[in-house]
Amino acid sequence: MAMSLGFVVGILGVVILSHAAYSTVQYRGLLKIMEEEFSGPPLTVVAELLLGLVFCMWAALTVPGTFLSIHPYSEENRIVSLPDNLDFMIFNHRARVFPVELDLKFKH
Amino acid sequence: MVSKTEETQLNRLENQVDNGGGGAWEYLCLVRKLKVRRSEKVLKYGLSILNDLKKRSGLGSEEWTLYEQVAIAAMDCQSLDVAKDCIRLLRKAFPESKRVGRLEAMLLEAKGSWAEAEKAYSSFLEENPLDQVIHKRRVAMAKAQGNISGAIEGLNKYLEIFMADHDAWRELAEIYVSLQMYKQAAFCYEELILSQPTVPLHHLAYADVLYTLGGLENLQTAKKYYASVIDLTGGKNTRALFGINLNVLTPAFQCTSAIGQLAKGRNKEDKESLELQSLAATALEKDYKQRAPEKLSLLSTALKSLKVSS
Repeated sequence: MAMSLGFVVGILGVVILSHAAYSTVQYRGLLKIMEEEFSGPPLTVVAELLLGLVFCMWAALTVPGTFLSIHPYSEENRIVSLPDNLDFMIFNHRARVFPVELDLKFKH
Repeated sequence: MVSKTEETQLNRLENQVDNGGGGAWEYLCLVRKLKVRRSEKVLKYGLSILNDLKKRSGLGSEEWTLYEQVAIAAMDCQSLDVAKDCIRLLRKAFPESKRVGRLEAMLLEAKGSWAEAEKAYSSFLEENPLDQVIHKRRVAMAKAQGNISGAIEGLNKYLEIFMADHDAWRELAEIYVSLQMYKQAAFCYEELILSQPTVPLHHLAYADVLYTLGGLENLQTAKKYYASVIDLTGGKNTRALFGINLNVLTPAFQCTSAIGQLAKGRNKEDKESLELQSLAATALEKDYKQRAPEKLSLLSTALKSLKVSS
């Protein structure tokens, strides 16, 4: 749900940005007809740009997934035990004297 | 490396499987991924999957991985018949495989036929002199026979070629510790810290070794490494907290600190380490209060007696 919401917002942002581009082009065309100098985009386009930026940024931060912790002491990163060194595993231990009391057999 | 989340997950799955809640295959996969030694359970649940024709065929080619896992677990539990059956089936499926050959040699080891196993490993090494696993097996075999000096020699030779193998460094360090050769063990832990600087457990083991060695210099370094463990674990490692307490309150440390105070200059550092100790003690008390309130009184008397004796 959150993902699709972020996606919709992202699309909205892109649409707003392209609309801003389109309006700017139109505005310049209008200026050309009125034979005036281009000094800057109109206020509505600037507002649109800012809105589009915020939307796109928000979507880009939420859609690809959640952030992972980089702290060494966070639960995901904190190492509590090392793997048992299985390459150096030896079989010469108490299991030889106390075998497992399990009735285990292959049936095939 | 087993992180806290993975440990919780493993315990949860283990509980679930033990109580018959299913998820045995996921449990076996996790055991394999985390490389933990749960041979008895792997044997029990792995075999029950292998004996169930429907479950077994559902695994596809993963089936053979499970056979290998169960075979090793069976050897570890001395259920040699099961191991033999697994290896026989694997041999039938992969007649030329070296990996199966290694399992066969391990079976010889488990039986205690050292000479034959040695012969098998030697012939593997002739074919491929750089097979790391076989080298390690030979070291393990020397250890199993009680030939610790042989194991050390083998490991040293091995580490000359494969210096980046941290498992081997750890094994060597543990062997040295078991022989009370702490200087050598400290060297191995230094290597480990260099190769994996973010693993707090290497720092902890190094600090322990230095603390055991004693002497002012070593105690001071040990204090720093205990502090780095606390830094890396966010103060959640009880052993490091105890380490700081013991270390700073050691008579040797105190004694030399007193001398240092007379000779001035050291003053600031001593004050800092005492402050560190009291902070660690507070953290310990807080931790005990949260996780084992009934043992809090034990902790406070222990800390008090440490302070008095110093």
